[in-house]
Amino acid sequence: MQSQSPTHEFFPAPPSQTWKRYPRLLGRLGMFTLIRELSLRGNFLVKVAVEVLWLGILLAFYETVFARTSMVASWPKQDYLFFVGCFFAINGVLETLFLENCNEFSNLVRTGDLDFLLLKPIDEQFLITCRRVDWSVSPNIIMGFCVMAVSLWNKGWEFDALRVALFAITFTCGVAIAYSFMLVLTSFSVWLVRNQSLMEMWWLFSSLARYPREIFQRGWANSLDLVFTYILPILLVVNVPSRVMVKTIEPKMVCFIMVVTVASLAASRWFFQRALRSYRSASS
Amino acid sequence: MTTALKPDQDEMEYELQSPNWSATWHKYYRVFRVSLAERMTYRADFLLGTFLRMLPMVTTILLWQAIYEGSGKDTLAGFKYREMIAYLLLVHISRMFSSMPGLAAGISREIREGTLKKYLIQPLDLLGYLISYRAAHKVTYIVMAALPYGIIFYLCRFYFDGIPSASICAAYLLSLILSFLIGFYFEAAVGMVGFWFLDVTSILYIVITLNYFTSGQMLPIDLLPTFWAGFLKALPFQYMAYFPAVVYLGKVQGNDLIWGLALEAFWALFFALLARYLYRRGLRHYGAYGG
Repeated sequence: MQSQSPTHEFFPAPPSQTWKRYPRLLGRLGMFTLIRELSLRGNFLVKVAVEVLWLGILLAFYETVFARTSMVASWPKQDYLFFVGCFFAINGVLETLFLENCNEFSNLVRTGDLDFLLLKPIDEQFLITCRRVDWSVSPNIIMGFCVMAVSLWNKGWEFDALRVALFAITFTCGVAIAYSFMLVLTSFSVWLVRNQSLMEMWWLFSSLARYPREIFQRGWANSLDLVFTYILPILLVVNVPSRVMVKTIEPKMVCFIMVVTVASLAASRWFFQRALRSYRSASS
Repeated sequence: MTTALKPDQDEMEYELQSPNWSATWHKYYRVFRVSLAERMTYRADFLLGTFLRMLPMVTTILLWQAIYEGSGKDTLAGFKYREMIAYLLLVHISRMFSSMPGLAAGISREIREGTLKKYLIQPLDLLGYLISYRAAHKVTYIVMAALPYGIIFYLCRFYFDGIPSASICAAYLLSLILSFLIGFYFEAAVGMVGFWFLDVTSILYIVITLNYFTSGQMLPIDLLPTFWAGFLKALPFQYMAYFPAVVYLGKVQGNDLIWGLALEAFWALFFALLARYLYRRGLRHYGAYGG
């Protein structure tokens, strides 16, 4: 501390240096929550076992379904299992990094503990949505990728660098779009205080994302497809990354998901900051 | 204290001195009434929650439509498409009766925190109190859910072949009541394990996850390979979701129906006795810490 110039204490670091500290901070927060989680190893292992069991049940369900049919909404078995793996991995990322934090937000608002977070010299959105890493659900990411790898192997998929690159991009876009939805729902807590039904809304959204778009492309469900692809684009989250790997690449949809990602991140950040401006500390 | 012990002062004190069936019934009826009032407080939140929970049914309907179209068949494992959707809707009704959220965790918490002793020093039986409390919650839930469920079932009326005969309806109602008893005593028995393990949350996570599949909530058990279908039908979990639904659909009739209901009653009695036995054994271990 003594070697630092006094200006460091009074003036913020330049933006380039400020952004560099976020990955480091995320790593430290992750390490902190991992140590805390491992202090109750038995509980941690049971939670992991439940996630493994849940994936097993999901695979048993689809195994049963594909024993009776070779195709579900133009998705053959291995392609569909890739889709399931992709959903599991994206959901795993969201649950590991953000869900617990967003769930906690209404408590922070209700108790006024949000004050302490807002006083920290760090971006509020980062601190509120990333401060705890839920390691017990992180194996879902690995399991999701394992399911995807096995389905590609069984399908006899040939390596294609372009598809892999597009998958990486669209997978990240999918996570970002879903995160934006979660952030908007979380922001409502500032006005509603209680967010139980909002979290049910999140569950509802995620239950839409877990199916291929094709199941909505029939009769009355076409309107759902249009709404949840172009207006509230939750159907893009898993569908686009899955399609670029196992189906025909649609450049239009790849560009569209990238535009949607930028727009949804910007809109959700604006909404979140708007919500914070309406926050009235409960403790003071 | 001296005045409170006079038998003609108050009903509760009277019960303390001369317990009989009528007084016991009256006591648990009061627990039921109080729990009913408590539950009605959050009716708006409840209505919204019920609607939101039923909406994923839309995607389930669409998924099964795609599965039937993909198979090119009219019937899968004895279920036509309409029957499949009707089954998945009826499973919600089964779960309305048999699911007991927080029961096992609550019992284990009372044991862990030592608050269980309130049942030991008062003329109140733990299982008697809890079943009255749960019954009140279920009655409120069913009354409040009648509107959203009524709308959803009306919109989905094309998946049903009208209302079944009076005897099927009576058997269905009986199977639902028994599924409530199985669900209650099964969870209570899991909660009683807390006397030995203190925290049953981990066991509970696994039980709930397994129960989701083995009870037939995801799909009718008949769709599974023959061995697994037979195995799951030998377990009591099917009575918490699958069995009442197939009774309503008329897939179990005649002697099979009577036999099924008898087995369901057997499992209800089995879990009731198991929960009671574990409670009595557990009390010997109970240290009444905290509180």
